[in-house]
Amino acid sequence: MNRKAYYDQVETDVMAAVSRPSRFYFLALLVSASMFALGMACWGYQLLTGLGVAGIRNPVGWGVYITDFVFWVGIAHSGTLISAVLFIFRARFRSSFNRSAEAMTLIAVMTAGLFPLIHLGRAWRFYYLLPYPNQRLLWVNFRSPLIWDVFAVSTYFTVSLIFFYVGLIPDLAAARRHLKGIFKWVYRVLSLGWQGTQKQWKHYNQLYLFLAAFATPLVISVHSVVSWDFAMSIVPGWHTTIFAPYFVAGAIYSGTAMVFTLVIPMRKILGLEKYITVDHFEKLAKVMLFTSLIVTYAYVIEIVLAFYSGNIFETTHFSYRMAGDYWPLWAMMILCNSILPMTVFVKSLRRNLIYLFILSLFVNVGMWLERFVIIVTALSKDYDPYSWGTYRPSLVEAGITVGSFGLFFTLFLVFVKVLPVLSITEVKEQAHES
Amino acid sequence: MNHEWTFDDQEAFVEKLNELVQDGCTEDDLEIITPFPVHGLEETLKERPSFLKFFSLAGSLAGLLAGFAFTIYTVLSWPLITGGKPLISITAFVVIAFELTILIGAITTFIGFLILGRFPSLPGILQPRESGNRFIIIDRRRASA
Repeated sequence: MNRKAYYDQVETDVMAAVSRPSRFYFLALLVSASMFALGMACWGYQLLTGLGVAGIRNPVGWGVYITDFVFWVGIAHSGTLISAVLFIFRARFRSSFNRSAEAMTLIAVMTAGLFPLIHLGRAWRFYYLLPYPNQRLLWVNFRSPLIWDVFAVSTYFTVSLIFFYVGLIPDLAAARRHLKGIFKWVYRVLSLGWQGTQKQWKHYNQLYLFLAAFATPLVISVHSVVSWDFAMSIVPGWHTTIFAPYFVAGAIYSGTAMVFTLVIPMRKILGLEKYITVDHFEKLAKVMLFTSLIVTYAYVIEIVLAFYSGNIFETTHFSYRMAGDYWPLWAMMILCNSILPMTVFVKSLRRNLIYLFILSLFVNVGMWLERFVIIVTALSKDYDPYSWGTYRPSLVEAGITVGSFGLFFTLFLVFVKVLPVLSITEVKEQAHES
Repeated sequence: MNHEWTFDDQEAFVEKLNELVQDGCTEDDLEIITPFPVHGLEETLKERPSFLKFFSLAGSLAGLLAGFAFTIYTVLSWPLITGGKPLISITAFVVIAFELTILIGAITTFIGFLILGRFPSLPGILQPRESGNRFIIIDRRRASA
């Protein structure tokens, strides 16, 4: 096959995936949309009744909602890692995943962004978080990590959106001639009239490189700031300097697992086996293994330093985390995040997609539990025994969590049917290089 | 005389382009359309580097200054000590300034791209020229002559 025929083939294959919904697709959409509807119903109930329907009480004022927030922000991170960091390091396998991972980033940040509002209780007061002079001309407290978070997460969303869109421009232009009707016009407008002239490519290449260079420090800063929501306080179990790198590694780890969860079925259903190969998955599995080892190292360091310090609050906290009320969750977290991923050292396992898919589900569970364990065990028992207490999520909290997964999968399913799921331009480019 | 060449193949396209450059064609004489960025064309054409980096630099510096100016202005406009920290807590403000550096830097770079690349291009939207994965060279000098 000559090159031009191959390029045409790439466009046809990717756009065929976009335009042909199967019965299975509608079934998946129905399931995830119902989950989302359940979540919205639970949130509606909470808004009407009050925050008391959630299980959060003194002393555990942060529960499942904050766990979900940190979890979804974490999921977002590997999208930027795959698109920006691997772009800068010229890792070729990124082009199989970058579009879906970037979409995952945007969707996960949107999902995460709901949780501070849900957790507020009176969600309509969210504007208190924004920096504007209120009627007493009092500004927000810029020394508060929660305000840093507002800046970090909204910057992250905006920059990820620009990066995603910029990556789409040449692909929309390539795809527009394959479409008809309203879609053709939407693609034409969104591609901004891209023609692919050398002048356009010159500026485009610079733009893409700079955006990748902006996104790389940003991704590290965002989850560092999220970790400082905890680490800036003086609660035992939270107040540690390793939190920022620990959270960043954990975020990339969980996000990589989510890429497996999403892309392995997507590749099968859309018939993209030719473009997303087992070799690509193997490389991504190595990224996941590497970040798993960093996370495990952080778990060990956290415990060792607590006992090495001899500080009674630190040692009590970590003994409680490992052997107290929540020990099964802690043990499950260690199993999912540290022990099971070790199997990826075996080559035949990391090339087995069904195995990787199942493993990724365990990692997702493990990383959700990690945030839960960190947040809840630290608040349950801090300094004063008088104020100790345990926390159990209510059904409303569980429903809203299920709903967030519903929202995430619904939006991802919509994405695969309206936009090219692979970077057409990069696949063509690499056909030439290989 | 021929002033437009179409290729299915990148090698033949690069060869022809080299030939034209040898004949004295410059970046401004040629209109080149490719389905993906062809590496090495910058050197072949001896292109002027893109001006975009100055947009990034200006945007990032503006964001950095805005971040510090905004936080310092607000704490001074309503001096309220929290946590026993000094009013102007530079360390804490670094986070805000860092995020704004990236935010405004990225937005300015994107706007710079739109300006330099003349986007959105109305003719391109209404009647796009579909090159259909071909490599095209148009010699504007001969086309106009």
